[in-house]
Amino acid sequence: MPIIKNKPFRLRRWLIWTLLLLCPFINAQTLSEKTAWQQTLQDARDNSVYFYAWGGDPQVNRYLQWVTKRVDNKYGINLEHVKLAQTSDAVSRVLAERSAGNTSAGQVDLLWINGLNFATMATNKLLEANWVSNLPNFALTNPDQNPAMTMDFGMPTNGMEAPWGRAALTFYYNSASISTPPTTLQQLLTWSELNPGRFTYAKPPDFLGLSFLKYALIILNQQQDVSIYEQLYIAPTAQSERQLLSSLWTFLDKLHPHLWRQGRYFVNDGTSIRRLVGDSELDLGFTFSASDIPGAVDRFDLPLSIRSYAMKDGSLSNVHFVTIPVNAKHKAGAKVVANFLMSIEAQAKKQQPSNWGDRTVVDLSLLAPDKQLMFSSLQQHPSALPELDTSPSLSEPHPQWSAVISKEWEKRYGAKQ
Amino acid sequence: MIVDTSLFTRWVKFSPSILITLLIVPVVAGLLGVILPAFGWLPALGEETVGLRGFEALFATPGFVKMLALSFSTSFVSTFFAVLLSILILGNYFNSKLLGHIQRLLGPILVIPHAAAAIAIGFLIAPSGLIMRLFSPWLSGAELPPDILLPNDPCGFSIILGLTLKELPFILLIAMAAMQQKEIKQAIEGQYKVALSLGYYPFTSFCKAVLPILYPFIRLPIYAILAYSSASIEIPLILGPNTPPTLAVAIMQWFNDVDLHLRIQASAGALVQIMLTLCVLFTWWLLEQCVKRFCLSSLINGRRTYADITWKFLTHCITLLVLFAIVLALIGLVIWSFAGYWSFPKAYPDQLVTLHWQSALQQLPETIGDTILVALAATGIALFLALFTLEAEQQRRTQLSSVASLMIYLPLLVPSIAFLFGIVWVKEIIGVNAVFSMVVLGHLLFVMPYVFLSLATSYRKLDLRYANVAASLGRSPWSVFYSVKLPQLMPPILFSSALGLAISFSQYLPTLLLGGGRINTLTTEAVAIASGASRRISAVYVIIQLLLPAFGFILAWLIPKLFFRPRY
Repeated sequence: MPIIKNKPFRLRRWLIWTLLLLCPFINAQTLSEKTAWQQTLQDARDNSVYFYAWGGDPQVNRYLQWVTKRVDNKYGINLEHVKLAQTSDAVSRVLAERSAGNTSAGQVDLLWINGLNFATMATNKLLEANWVSNLPNFALTNPDQNPAMTMDFGMPTNGMEAPWGRAALTFYYNSASISTPPTTLQQLLTWSELNPGRFTYAKPPDFLGLSFLKYALIILNQQQDVSIYEQLYIAPTAQSERQLLSSLWTFLDKLHPHLWRQGRYFVNDGTSIRRLVGDSELDLGFTFSASDIPGAVDRFDLPLSIRSYAMKDGSLSNVHFVTIPVNAKHKAGAKVVANFLMSIEAQAKKQQPSNWGDRTVVDLSLLAPDKQLMFSSLQQHPSALPELDTSPSLSEPHPQWSAVISKEWEKRYGAKQ
Repeated sequence: MIVDTSLFTRWVKFSPSILITLLIVPVVAGLLGVILPAFGWLPALGEETVGLRGFEALFATPGFVKMLALSFSTSFVSTFFAVLLSILILGNYFNSKLLGHIQRLLGPILVIPHAAAAIAIGFLIAPSGLIMRLFSPWLSGAELPPDILLPNDPCGFSIILGLTLKELPFILLIAMAAMQQKEIKQAIEGQYKVALSLGYYPFTSFCKAVLPILYPFIRLPIYAILAYSSASIEIPLILGPNTPPTLAVAIMQWFNDVDLHLRIQASAGALVQIMLTLCVLFTWWLLEQCVKRFCLSSLINGRRTYADITWKFLTHCITLLVLFAIVLALIGLVIWSFAGYWSFPKAYPDQLVTLHWQSALQQLPETIGDTILVALAATGIALFLALFTLEAEQQRRTQLSSVASLMIYLPLLVPSIAFLFGIVWVKEIIGVNAVFSMVVLGHLLFVMPYVFLSLATSYRKLDLRYANVAASLGRSPWSVFYSVKLPQLMPPILFSSALGLAISFSQYLPTLLLGGGRINTLTTEAVAIASGASRRISAVYVIIQLLLPAFGFILAWLIPKLFFRPRY
């Protein structure tokens, strides 16, 4: 054994020396990257990485417990999942720290984030930049061919966040009480008129409520002139707000009287909709993580008769990321964890419906067939979204639209009783 | 008492100042940390001009007046009902064994964290809740839950219900504790007997002869309740409307909003919240003055009865209703925690499973450990300081000045939402990173007043002759304190500890803000889970939240019985 072991060792040292000597002549980047990554791995050992992530879903929490074990075994990192009720809590924490002049001992090492929270942190320069491309596993997402991996709600990520998973707006209904669910936005309106009080969405700025409003906004403006429609993907102006939002308000004015509680009360939290469907107060719900639904059925929170589907006129979809605040204390450890989260092992495990069911960010076409097999699920749950059920994917509007929608919604419906 | 300067007496001498400092400094610092941003000074966001734009934005918030009205009315009305009900119950069951039973039944509610109580009440009164299920479909005819706005009704009736149910036991227990003090007990029982013998009906006797003596003793607690409920978060968040919510809930949402500039508006809101709380307190004071003015003449008008029979009947009904609601809520919780799928309108789930308990218990041991550790630390410090402060009182032979006593109440009177965010800000500026001790300090602010107040009565009542005899036999002050006073005080000390633990278990905002999410207690987990979708898991958490403080009280009750033989 020692003889065999020795040889590559010498070989490697020789190789390094040769390469070092050749450095001026060849493209030195790969090598320095590799050694830089080795250095990161070394620095990360024995780090305690505080991962601030929404903790409202037991399945996600269990998955993160598994991640904790793996990064401990593989890299000697002590990962602590700090369960947040809202991601914005962590955003305010970083802000408070930085405002108090804490530039290198921040408590948040890694943060699960996307959309508006990311936009807020990025514009306030609260995030570490240009680290993602140094992660070896980032290449697995094929970022050159796959712009979604470097754009968060239309904003370039500039290496501030590493992609973690993908989500699309998925609807579900109780097949015991409705036979044919509405499959377009217009059908949803007519269906609500026929079945008053059986549907609702969460009050913005809740993430799910906003997602529903953005889905409606996109669909309602698809018929508009392309030059106007494309305004959705850049920051809103007074003019584009007028042009694009008016159809949304007309639609909501028509929809609200037929919603649950006649639209006089909206749940604060998107996930409460699942509870209301479970209580038979609603017949139709929607979620951003399709995998929640079979999980909830197995935990008896939803009846067996629940079926999931995608809206025919399109599904709002986005990528969620992990990011490192600029003042994080354990950056090396956070990078290693972010890299592990993108690994084939972690991504395949995450895609399994029994573990989490969150869609992978890895580009499967880059993988060998045996690796691809790791990602396919064994059997389909009757309540899960059928794998063939796909619909045009609608990309997220510019994040500032969310703020505008929230604010205008509040003005129109926030104090209505 | 001659006091030599041992380590013990030096500690005792300083502990009142330490206690008051520990309570005032964080509150004042926290308030400062809110006042500066309220006037637009938030350097982290590049906001360095002082101005009123926070207030302008606040006043321009849609439904702002409704928010104020909702906060005001719910806190005032709920406290009014709670006081009224307490008077009815105390008056009608005065000197009766029933009072003790009611106290024992209501006592546990006192220790239920607000979040847990709100969740339990929500389970009960929702259109798909247990009450509706019991009457459906055979009576209501409802095959589907009716689409009525309850809880979360725009007028805040559900908030009032929740707050009243939470406040009632508190006032009752405070009043009964006051009535058991020797001098008060003698006075009121004497007066009551005289009134009865003069032919006054029992409830009228109570109102005319007992209440005027009793009320001053429950007055400060009532003000604390008013202050608390006008700024409470958990109950209005879970049971209240949100178009618009109460002011305190709105402030918390602004503080948590992704749009960081809303923080200026939130800080301005926190100052308005303080004004609102003051308004509520002032209105209550006005009410007191009116009652005083208009009822003074009826006290001495000689009328023997005011529909006493009706009042008695009404009290029976209300007491039964309250107890029924509590029992039903508890039963509902237990069933939910074991429920398989449970469709409406079934009054019972399709199957019972232990899955929810298993998955919760897998994730909980560490959380429960942290919860208990924080609670023990906070309660331990509070107990230590409270005992020493009270000992200092006895060594100085003067009670704390009324200003100092008021200071102990300070954290209960200033809306916590107003100063806790400020503390986080100040903490960051000073650069404190010790999470555990910050959380303990945060809990201490709320644990300290309760521990002190619950201990003070017994300590001040202590028969000093034993201590004097021991001292005259040459025992040192420490030895007198340790081997004479403490054993005499064992039951109240244990009770105060259990109360302190319970208060600490129930803290949500201090844990969340000062712990920054690094320390999860049962309550923060329960609120996070309540924001999720599983009613069943929520039920499990709520039950554990109930069991933990209950366990503390059972220990407090058992230990003296097991280890300290009765001496008389």
